[in-house]
Amino acid sequence: MSAARDMLCDTARVVFAEAAKAGISPVEEAGFGLLLVPEEQGGFGGDWGDVNAVLQIAGVVAPDLPVAELIVDAPLLPAAAVSLMAGAMGQALALSIDHVNMRQQFGRALGKFQAVQQSLAVMACEVRAVEAAAAALAARLDGVGLDPSAAGFEIAAAKLRANRAVGVVTSIAHQVHGAIGFTEEYDLHRVTVPLMRWRGAHGHDAHWARRLGDQVAGLGGRGLWEAMTARGA
Amino acid sequence: MQGFALYPFDPPGDIAALRADLRAWLAVNQPKDDVVARANCWASFDRDFSRALGAAGYVGMTLPARYGGGDRHPLERYVVIEELLAAGAPVGAHWIADRQTGPLILRYGSEEQRERYLPGIAKGELYACIGLSEPGAGSDLAAVRTTARETAEGWRINGQKIWTTGAHFSHIILALVRTEEGSERNAGLSQLLVDLDTPGITIRPIIDMAGHHDFNEVFFDDVLVPHGALVGERGQGWKQVTAELGLERSGPERYLSSHALFVALIDAAGPDPDPAVATLIGELASEMWTLRQLSMSTAAKLAAGEDPMVEASVVKELGNAFEQDMPRRVQAIIDCNWDDDTDLAKLLRVLLIASPSFSLRGGTREVIRGIIARGLGLR
Ligand SMILES: Cc1cc2nc3c(=O)[nH]c(=O)nc-3n(C[C@H](O)[C@H](O)[C@H](O)COP(=O)(O)OP(=O)(O)OC[C@H]3O[C@@H](n4cnc5c(N)ncnc54)[C@H](O)[C@@H]3O)c2cc1C
Repeated sequence: MSAARDMLCDTARVVFAEAAKAGISPVEEAGFGLLLVPEEQGGFGGDWGDVNAVLQIAGVVAPDLPVAELIVDAPLLPAAAVSLMAGAMGQALALSIDHVNMRQQFGRALGKFQAVQQSLAVMACEVRAVEAAAAALAARLDGVGLDPSAAGFEIAAAKLRANRAVGVVTSIAHQVHGAIGFTEEYDLHRVTVPLMRWRGAHGHDAHWARRLGDQVAGLGGRGLWEAMTARGA
Repeated sequence: MQGFALYPFDPPGDIAALRADLRAWLAVNQPKDDVVARANCWASFDRDFSRALGAAGYVGMTLPARYGGGDRHPLERYVVIEELLAAGAPVGAHWIADRQTGPLILRYGSEEQRERYLPGIAKGELYACIGLSEPGAGSDLAAVRTTARETAEGWRINGQKIWTTGAHFSHIILALVRTEEGSERNAGLSQLLVDLDTPGITIRPIIDMAGHHDFNEVFFDDVLVPHGALVGERGQGWKQVTAELGLERSGPERYLSSHALFVALIDAAGPDPDPAVATLIGELASEMWTLRQLSMSTAAKLAAGEDPMVEASVVKELGNAFEQDMPRRVQAIIDCNWDDDTDLAKLLRVLLIASPSFSLRGGTREVIRGIIARGLGLR
């Protein structure tokens, strides 16, 4: 990550934490609405790589605030949701790992049981997949000047991939937490409930699957490979 | 916890031209008649094809020119193999030599071994097999019992390997053997590069559930090989093998084994598919696109000299699940009879039968998940 993006992320962590208590205004005041506005128009001049990084933080720290809406236009909200979801999933995984390392049953940490290890490995794969989808979508959007119609394939593929990970990630996270994860006091629901919500927002699974499927059908079997390789690397 | 950043996949040279040249070459040289050979095509053996591919410069691409290689960047090779796999080309004969044995000989082998074996590998003419598994050593590879004792004349090997893919048409086997008497587990192991025509070696076919002869048992009965058969350092076999396995976990073959079926599904569906079929096509495309990103990023990390053990395992786990589930998901919604004579039906049948092996070969699903769990700090 660039130094500028590191600084941006540091600011986002502080500001979003404050906003989580105070509402969206600290985010507005800190100028996050100008993230994608070019520098010569008085903005931050950021790219989608920056948006992806910032929204992953928002997905963890301030999932209930309209941070994405503040930064991006409506056609890009499905792409923004992928970043929020990647962030929230990373947090669900981190909480789960911490929990199974700490919680003892049968005289050892839960994380020492192979069944628990295998479940968390499955979950980690889903989280990595969504993080990769978010990053690849960012690369595409930045490559086409944030034109959503030129990134139609990647938006559909990434949002669908993120949606499909939600079930696995939320169910394993809750399973390994036991009852404590089902409480209002414990932080897990702060990311799992937003994940459930985001799956249905900006296009549910069937919506994107149909859209992408129709697009791929139009390309043909060989055409899919040619399109995929022409669109990146 | 640090999020996963995509490593930029940035091969040198004109990649679009590399793809175009290879596609044009395949249009002329890929055998057309056998649709079924396109399924799981890195297990389809075709010596003539491998030789032609080698002559065209697409085998041993990353090996140095002084050993007959192409001096190309690892990511150029990546582009070539993903193209070959997506086209369903029969790359099985040279696959193992090109993917892992060649690079391993280059990295750990002696000058004599390099000169002797690498040119043939780069020509697509010299084939290799992997001698790791034994009857008592599957997932628990450290239980290897085949021994090699150093004598005045060379190494004397006794024991047995099993599930050895391609031993019956390969020229060499890279065997993991116990060289230190009384050693246990992962200590005292070494790698020996053995010519398969050495007296005392017996190769017996094992027919798989598809009726194919792909893998074998390889018996070593007092087999004498020269001192120079040792690859790398004596006693360091475990370390070398672990590095070798890393090379084979994250390639495009870990998610493209069923690609021919996906192509047939899309083509059979036509430009205006039934909604249920469109939905499945969309889901599969989304997963494939994501896997490709993960695999390319891991390849880029490997090429940069990093050791992305966990990422590589993530590619294998997700990729194997994708290619293994695809035939089942297709069967669940497509009207076709088991023995229909269409491309779609043939590929479906072949891949339903082949797919149980996808999460076994190269390390089982459970072993791979264990590696990921270790990466998460749980073991
Ligand atoms: C098509 C194919 C080609 C192959 N080619 C080669 C080759 O060329 N060279 C070669 O050396 N080998 C080859 N193999 C062998 C392959 O590496 C082994 O099958 C694999 O390592 C598993 O060993 P196993 O079959 O003995 O199963 P086992 O180790 O007996 O395992 C059986 C089941 O138990 C599970 N299990 C085992 N241990 C544990 C544990 N500790 N915790 C949880 N679950 C566990 C496994 O995951 C698996 O599901 C090939 C296999 C196949 C299917």
